[in-house]
Amino acid sequence: MTEEKKPEERKKRRTATEAAASIGPMVKAMITDVQKAREEGKPIAFTFIACAYDEIIRAMDIVPSWVENYAGICGAKRDAQRFLERAESLNFSRSLCTYALCGLGFDSWREELGEMPPDAPWGGQVKPTVMLGSGQILCDPRNKWFQAAQHYMPDVPVYDVSLPYPAYADDYDFHETEGYYVKHIVEQLRGLIDFLEEQTGHKMDWARLEELVDLVDRTYDLIVDTYDLRRAIPTPMGTGDAMNTMVPIQFMMATQQAYDFFTNLNAELKDKIARKEGVIEDEKYRLIWGGGLPSWFALGDFNYFNSKGAVFPVETTYRTLESTRDFDIDLKKIKDPLEHIAWRWVKTWTYWYDKARKRPGSHPDVERLIQYIEDFKIDGIVMHEAFSCRSWHVGLIWQLNHLKKIYRDMPSLILESDIIDISSYNEADTRARIDAFIDTLEAVKDR
Amino acid sequence: MIYVAGIDIGSAFSKAVIMAKNEIIAYDVMPSGGNYKLTAEQVIEEALTKAEISLKDIAYTVATGYGATSVSFSSETAADISCLARGVHYLFPAARTAIDIGGQFTRVLKLNDRGKATAFLLSEKCATGSGRFLQVIARVLQIDLEDIGGLSLKSKNRVDFNTGCAVFAESEAVSRIAEGAAKEDILAGLHRTLAAKIQTMMARLGIEPDCAVVGGGAKDMGLVKSIEEGLGCRLLLPDEPRIVAALGAVLVAWEKVSKGGRYV
Repeated sequence: MTEEKKPEERKKRRTATEAAASIGPMVKAMITDVQKAREEGKPIAFTFIACAYDEIIRAMDIVPSWVENYAGICGAKRDAQRFLERAESLNFSRSLCTYALCGLGFDSWREELGEMPPDAPWGGQVKPTVMLGSGQILCDPRNKWFQAAQHYMPDVPVYDVSLPYPAYADDYDFHETEGYYVKHIVEQLRGLIDFLEEQTGHKMDWARLEELVDLVDRTYDLIVDTYDLRRAIPTPMGTGDAMNTMVPIQFMMATQQAYDFFTNLNAELKDKIARKEGVIEDEKYRLIWGGGLPSWFALGDFNYFNSKGAVFPVETTYRTLESTRDFDIDLKKIKDPLEHIAWRWVKTWTYWYDKARKRPGSHPDVERLIQYIEDFKIDGIVMHEAFSCRSWHVGLIWQLNHLKKIYRDMPSLILESDIIDISSYNEADTRARIDAFIDTLEAVKDR
Repeated sequence: MIYVAGIDIGSAFSKAVIMAKNEIIAYDVMPSGGNYKLTAEQVIEEALTKAEISLKDIAYTVATGYGATSVSFSSETAADISCLARGVHYLFPAARTAIDIGGQFTRVLKLNDRGKATAFLLSEKCATGSGRFLQVIARVLQIDLEDIGGLSLKSKNRVDFNTGCAVFAESEAVSRIAEGAAKEDILAGLHRTLAAKIQTMMARLGIEPDCAVVGGGAKDMGLVKSIEEGLGCRLLLPDEPRIVAALGAVLVAWEKVSKGGRYV
């Protein structure tokens, strides 16, 4: 194995909000806390974003270690290549999810050395106590990654949760079956709790769980309220910042810290709106980041858009929640915390179904785009096709075509690269595409 | 006399166009090589020589293309898609769709009645979507790039390829040569492969007549014919398809000096 040189850290990206600027130290502290937990012998669970069982882990005093987050950190620091190459040398295909490859490369290296790989970003990702798979009928690596990781950590048990939700069809009312899904999810969560109690010796604190379930509901509602403030013209916060503020959504859910973060962001945005302070002074084009995970090593491209007069008041990526107040059931009446989590899960994923059924030929993903386009006064759509994440990115072009068919034609740009594999990225080419896209926005506006 | 220049530094070829009174008076094309800055200086020098003027006579220069930022003497840079739209509109005012087959990418674009691009798509990061694919195959078949089109048109028994990947197509071409397939039949098959990629892009963009084809790949008549067959329509083809982006750049330059009122 070659010992690759650690690349120099890039200059910090300019953010529009103080809240987004504060995320870096928060993430670093999160990684350090996991390392400290390992030293103190606390149970640590490898887990994934949008897992829906945040409250369960935290109520049982188990420390989550977010593997996608650590891979993203390696990517953002432009230090993922050596871990990707190591995974490749272990016969994993380069066309697999590069988050998984990075994690597998890192974990196998750490286990081989018996210590962290040299110059591991932010001190490294520690060995967990358990690994919790979480496919969510969305992403197969989230089921298979930890099974593969067991080759290098055979003593770490895996529990695979996959929480389903009803499929969409315009001639079928999902309400007829959603109750069955809820029952199934509750059983899965009970199984998870049994597994965690057995493996960690920590017992579920049911009173604590109820408190955290309520905290998550309130946090969901606060986040939606806060992000809706971005409808203002000029918008006080763009998607570049939202790629930072996703951290409390995805990695700190069910903590007071996440709630407080969005309370502060809410106040900051209101203050900016009152002062008419936008992401940029002269806002010419309002864009939606309509799908695709970002290139973590190239978040500076959002600033490049800004330099051309374009802002992103809204995105679909990482907005994996809806306001619980808008659900067609009263969640507060569901007292059993596991049932509550299950209903919240099903209602979140089916949130756009009824709206889509009202528009002939529509689809929930497209309906969501239409609603955001109207609410946020959007001029164009940008998407990113990350080659290694087929499950998330496969339908993007279909969505664009369908939008055009049932709603209206809008200027669109599809960027091509990856989430963390920098070898897929070409800055000059990307920026040339952005330049051309800006010109098309101008031409369409002049029409 | 007011002169303006447009420079397009592409990944394979660099082009310079000089204009006066809204008319082209000279142009030049040369391989880009590995030093874009030097190539830009050389290609403008060649064009200037043909125009019998010097760089100090140029009032405004717009650079575009892959190496646009390497052009030390440019007044500004412009997006290649926008320049292509301008250039196509100048040559074919009725064109509403254009295909540009470049060395690194194929671009398809829609343009309005004022020569502005309103939508565009670029081929994926894959050599089979670009002129690079043909360069690779020309080397394998040991023929000159400019002979590809003529040979392909002579095909009587096109060889169909099983792959859309340039690397695999190269090895498949080698296999077909070993099996005794004629060069012209192999070329016709490869043209079909590239044309199919372009057709897919056009289907996504939505073709609107008239449609023009430009870029270095448009000099390959075998490829142009294959695209026409696939799309089921005739394509507008300029006399010198390689300079269209540079032409668009020089039109932007001309607009600057004429609108700005500084020189005319």
